[in-house]
Amino acid sequence: MSLQRADTLGGRAAVVGIGATEFSKDSGRSELKLAVEAVHAALDDAGLAPGDVDGLVTFTMDTSPEITVAQAAGIGELSFFSRVHYGGGAACATVQQAAMAVATGVAEVVVCYRAFNERSGHRFGSGLQARQPSAEGVAMGWTMPPGLLTPASWVALHAARYLHTYGLSPDVFGHVAVADRRHAAANPAAYFYQRPITLADHAASRWIVEPLRLLDCCQETDGGQAVVVTSVERARDLRHAPAVIAAAAQGAGRAQEAMTSFYRDDLTGLPELGVVARQLWRGSGLGPADVDTAVLYDHFTPFVLMQLEEFGFCARGEAAAFAADGGLELGGRLPVNTHGGQLGEAYLHGMNGIAEAVRQLRGNSVNQVPDARTVLVTAGTGVPTSGLVLTADG
Amino acid sequence: MNLEAYQGLPSTVGGVGLDLVNAPMIRHWCEAMGDANPAYAAAPAAAIAPPAMLQAWTMGPSGRRAHFDALMRDLDAAGYASVVATDCEQQYARPLRIGERVLFDSDIESVSERKRTALGTGYFITTRTDVRAYDEAAGEKPDDATPVGSHRFRILKFTPAERRERPQAVDAGSLRPRPVVNRDNAGYWDGVAAGELRFQRCDDCATARFPWLPGCNACGSDRWHPEPASGDGEVYSKVVVHHPLPPAFGAKPYTVALVELAEGVRIVANVVGAEPEAVGIGMPVRLGFQRCDDDLLLPVFHPAGPDRLPPLRVPVTRTLIVAGAIASRDYQEVHHDAELARAKGAPDIFMNILTTNGLVGRYVTDWTGPDARVESIAIRLGVPAYPGDELQFSGEVSERGEGGRLVLAIRGTGRLGVHVSGTVKVRVKGASA
Repeated sequence: MSLQRADTLGGRAAVVGIGATEFSKDSGRSELKLAVEAVHAALDDAGLAPGDVDGLVTFTMDTSPEITVAQAAGIGELSFFSRVHYGGGAACATVQQAAMAVATGVAEVVVCYRAFNERSGHRFGSGLQARQPSAEGVAMGWTMPPGLLTPASWVALHAARYLHTYGLSPDVFGHVAVADRRHAAANPAAYFYQRPITLADHAASRWIVEPLRLLDCCQETDGGQAVVVTSVERARDLRHAPAVIAAAAQGAGRAQEAMTSFYRDDLTGLPELGVVARQLWRGSGLGPADVDTAVLYDHFTPFVLMQLEEFGFCARGEAAAFAADGGLELGGRLPVNTHGGQLGEAYLHGMNGIAEAVRQLRGNSVNQVPDARTVLVTAGTGVPTSGLVLTADG
Repeated sequence: MNLEAYQGLPSTVGGVGLDLVNAPMIRHWCEAMGDANPAYAAAPAAAIAPPAMLQAWTMGPSGRRAHFDALMRDLDAAGYASVVATDCEQQYARPLRIGERVLFDSDIESVSERKRTALGTGYFITTRTDVRAYDEAAGEKPDDATPVGSHRFRILKFTPAERRERPQAVDAGSLRPRPVVNRDNAGYWDGVAAGELRFQRCDDCATARFPWLPGCNACGSDRWHPEPASGDGEVYSKVVVHHPLPPAFGAKPYTVALVELAEGVRIVANVVGAEPEAVGIGMPVRLGFQRCDDDLLLPVFHPAGPDRLPPLRVPVTRTLIVAGAIASRDYQEVHHDAELARAKGAPDIFMNILTTNGLVGRYVTDWTGPDARVESIAIRLGVPAYPGDELQFSGEVSERGEGGRLVLAIRGTGRLGVHVSGTVKVRVKGASA
């Protein structure tokens, strides 16, 4: 997808298989083992075998290399392997990479995966201690000595400005948390299955980094998730109805940083997602009104509100009103994160959200939106990121 | 030991200052404190003494001190051999001028119950001294003396607690994350070491930028020069970190702000000198620097505006401690002899209260200018100031009264915590300050 012209990727490839391990707080096995299990599960779901795979894509943050996953999963020669950077911002971009490879004939069947022991192993929320003096380390290093050490702290600095600009209280973030947890409560795969919360629970939860409370923060998860991408033509011969990749895009804004874009514009939006949104609407020929349900990346609630504004579901500063009164819940203005999101289901760096979008198009989500034919999916926020518009075939 | 009996007894009767108020002692004091107030350096006919020197003119053996000395002997004999000053409250009726002789009398105002403190167990003893003076150089006689001020002084006479009970210095295992420095941003950290906050400015398109990068995002040019920030800014966004709380950041939630500098660039830094809830978006702030440990100096911001004093950094050197003690004529070993200080249970020599008092006076008149009249300084000491520390003074106007009278709340913080907090009353002329 280009910034200037519509690309030719839309409609060429589809997600045909989804598979995950259980989502837990202590998987009891290696990250590589989780990756291999997720890849196998996704291939089984697609009705494909390891021998069909000729491409693998993952995150630069993943600890399991493509070649090692292939080696342990019974996958042979690879003609395409790729990794995408910037944490959770990579999620939808792995599918874009796969679709580009399939559309150009570089590969035929590509599996995208992400697996980690983010709860029992290295926890992102434990706080940075040191960074190497690379360009990336220096960029992160400006905020470390004064004590912004966690993702929550970086997001909170944006969130505080957003609340100030629009005269809102931190309680408005509760609408997002309540929606996610309501959806998770109906999802047996979710960590917070059968444990919904109220706005009062949200408002009473303890501060993590003011203005973010505990219930504004996603959980930490051990697990793996994979999705299988192939051409739309081949998809039509497989087990499930294809989830067509109508548009896929990456985006970085001007003066973009990874989580610390504090030095540009007014801090009330997510310009990198604006770049993604422009491309997705143009590439798919669709707009906000066409979206039946959305999976909006929710490591922290404030950025869900900003995404609603960046994608044009509502005007600037109006997302809190849009989300109020069940606006993001099943039956609301725009059902969001029907799997429970990363607050409710699991924190799989956004990959579990892609799987939920596919389930909505197949019609077998635990919180099914009636006749869902167009789903928007976004990836990590606050970082260079990516997005997908997935549609039903035909 | 009947300590109550000492209450109300005179502690000094008929005290006479050993030296006339004189330029050399004033100069030594100003040199020790780093006080450049021209009011103290004027020609002898016009010069006044720094008000915080009030007690210095009374130091040394003079007058009859039988009761006070007996009280000290009683406490020494009972094992309360260590002494530390905790409070100093001075009121100034008028300035002292060169050539004046001071006269003074003091009472033992109170002796406390036995108290347990962080330093150890002991007794607080409060004395009150009234000071008068006459212009001996001009031929006046003692009967001509008029009131100059009064001076209430509180000491703790104590038995040191076991070392483990005392607050420890920074634990080497719990330091803040280090700055990440490479060739692209070393100039920034060099600036911090030099007490400047430097941003970059493009040589070609003149765009100011932060963070430091080897090229300009506005035009792509790689030609730039560093510029020191004026230090004025406002809070653009702000968070309070509650969890996790690494030990290096103290036991309490702390404030981190995104500050937009007057030059238009933004920087992430702590806001200090105000409780987290008192820091709001849009609040004017002023640059300062905070020493976090031996190797880490960080730019920080203090609340600013017409009711805020700009921050002042004072490195606590051995020279300052010793020179301040001598300038205030305080020869207690703990202020100049490290070996004897350790023998008395302190980790090193530490600043005497009169130096702290002098620094508070200097901090205030640096802000008001030389025409202001300091009417009182009342301070309480917190954690000691040892060599290698750095005191950061901050202050605000807590009350504005008639006739240019201001009440200022002053605080001096070192790396162990609050070293001094106090109230200064001052009268400023016209629109100054």
